[in-house]
Amino acid sequence: MEATSKQKAPLPNRLGIIGWAWAGRYKIERYLYTLHRLTGFGLLVYIALHLVANGSRLWGEEGWESTMNFLSNPGFKVGEYLVMAAFIYHALNGGRLILQHLGITLGKPKPPVYPYVDSMRRRRPLTWILLALIMALAIFMLVEFVISGA
Amino acid sequence: MEKLTFKVQRYDPDKDKKPYIQNFTIPFKHGMTVLDGLIYIKENLDNTLSFRSSCRMGICGSCGMLINKLPMLACHTPIEELKKDTIEVRPLPNFPIIKDLIPDLTPLFEKHKSIKPYLIQDTEEVEKPTAEFLQAQGQLEEFVQFAYCVKCGLCMAACPTVATDKHFLGPQPLAQAYRYSADRRDAGAKERFKQTDTPHGLWLCHLAGACSEACPKGVDPALAIQLLKRATLADSFRLTKKKPQPSVAPSPEQKKPKIAVPEFTIKKPAAKS
Amino acid sequence: MRESYLKILQYITGIGIFFLVGLHLLISHLSSGDPTEWSSVSRRAASAGWLTIYILILIFGIYHGMHGVRGLILELSLPNKAVRVLNWAIVFIGLAIFGYAVSIPIHAF
Repeated sequence: MEATSKQKAPLPNRLGIIGWAWAGRYKIERYLYTLHRLTGFGLLVYIALHLVANGSRLWGEEGWESTMNFLSNPGFKVGEYLVMAAFIYHALNGGRLILQHLGITLGKPKPPVYPYVDSMRRRRPLTWILLALIMALAIFMLVEFVISGA
Repeated sequence: MEKLTFKVQRYDPDKDKKPYIQNFTIPFKHGMTVLDGLIYIKENLDNTLSFRSSCRMGICGSCGMLINKLPMLACHTPIEELKKDTIEVRPLPNFPIIKDLIPDLTPLFEKHKSIKPYLIQDTEEVEKPTAEFLQAQGQLEEFVQFAYCVKCGLCMAACPTVATDKHFLGPQPLAQAYRYSADRRDAGAKERFKQTDTPHGLWLCHLAGACSEACPKGVDPALAIQLLKRATLADSFRLTKKKPQPSVAPSPEQKKPKIAVPEFTIKKPAAKS
Repeated sequence: MRESYLKILQYITGIGIFFLVGLHLLISHLSSGDPTEWSSVSRRAASAGWLTIYILILIFGIYHGMHGVRGLILELSLPNKAVRVLNWAIVFIGLAIFGYAVSIPIHAF
């Protein structure tokens, strides 16, 4: 809307980046999107560090061993597990998104009858199954690779 | 509850540098909606309070507001359903504020216009109509859910991509692009894809689903957008068949009556000699 | 190029990464010994099969990551005129990262 000479321009009111994380009391699917974004960003940062760490291979055995000693710090082990959990989440949620972006698993349009239930809420059981699978894999990875020290 | 506290965001562009919250206490009546509360405030407490409303029955889409941190239609929100005696009312986010609770919906209307929200056909029938287009019930059900949109803007307020990207089309225009492209009477899908299959188009939708959650008419714009993605991909890889031109209803003269029209049964009075 | 072609590549690379990285992790961790030991690392570095997997992971991973970053930047209200500049910047940065990253396994091979 253009402001006339007497009228002030409307006040901008966009939520901004905060709107990616939180915009209201929405249901879980809204926050699955936020987590997908966070895990993607985390994986990007990890890949950059992984490439730098792997570059130490070119310095021979000594270079490699000193990098591995540095990375054997417990803090890095926790970080490694978080990266694993982020990968599991991002991959499985990404699979769900690919299927739903292609319109598969969302069902067909139906004339709306009150009380309205949209396609994502109708498919809520599949979302719970996916989250259960993610939790199960994350716990399995925790036990297998972190606790038992494999 | 006997009394309600309304925390209303106020902003007068002529007097205020930035918005602020003003509290009002109003009596509660069973069955009242948020709009009833705002009208009470305007009539009895502060007649400078500005907001949009019209039909008061959830069909015009004028009274979209952020009520207790969710975008809702004020007329369609009974106070009792909120289960609180403190109601926070703010204007819809992601739209500029003109005054108090009035958002500037021009960005929504401009984006809606850009996707050509009308039937596009290359027959003369659209310009010089002779009869209605025929459409089977099953064909109607492929898109009719998305035709219930009242352009209230709640979906745009809920969308996380609209929160940062002013060029993104948004759930409402994208859902309407699908509504028209899926209509068997329309042949303009490719023209609409030129608007929607763009860097700020439908691929910035990441299926947060907040738009469908916020929609007061059950339109489910998220479903429409995912179906539009499928249609766009099929078109990109040349997997869509050209839609046959829709037929028009035959004129009464062309149609054979299913039941023979009975003879005139009332006997005419004999002519008096 | 239509956005839908870029997006379908995003889906394909996403599925590819899932299988390739899954293979990378499973084989590394299921084989005997510590996968980060120098002997294990040198054995994998000398293998043509592993080299192929690493190069594929890099191609798929860099495309998928850079496309994601491109989407994030577009969502920050990037004007339409700047989209071309962004596209080329993403391509160059992606190629630079690929160039550095692929030199490691090739050099070690």
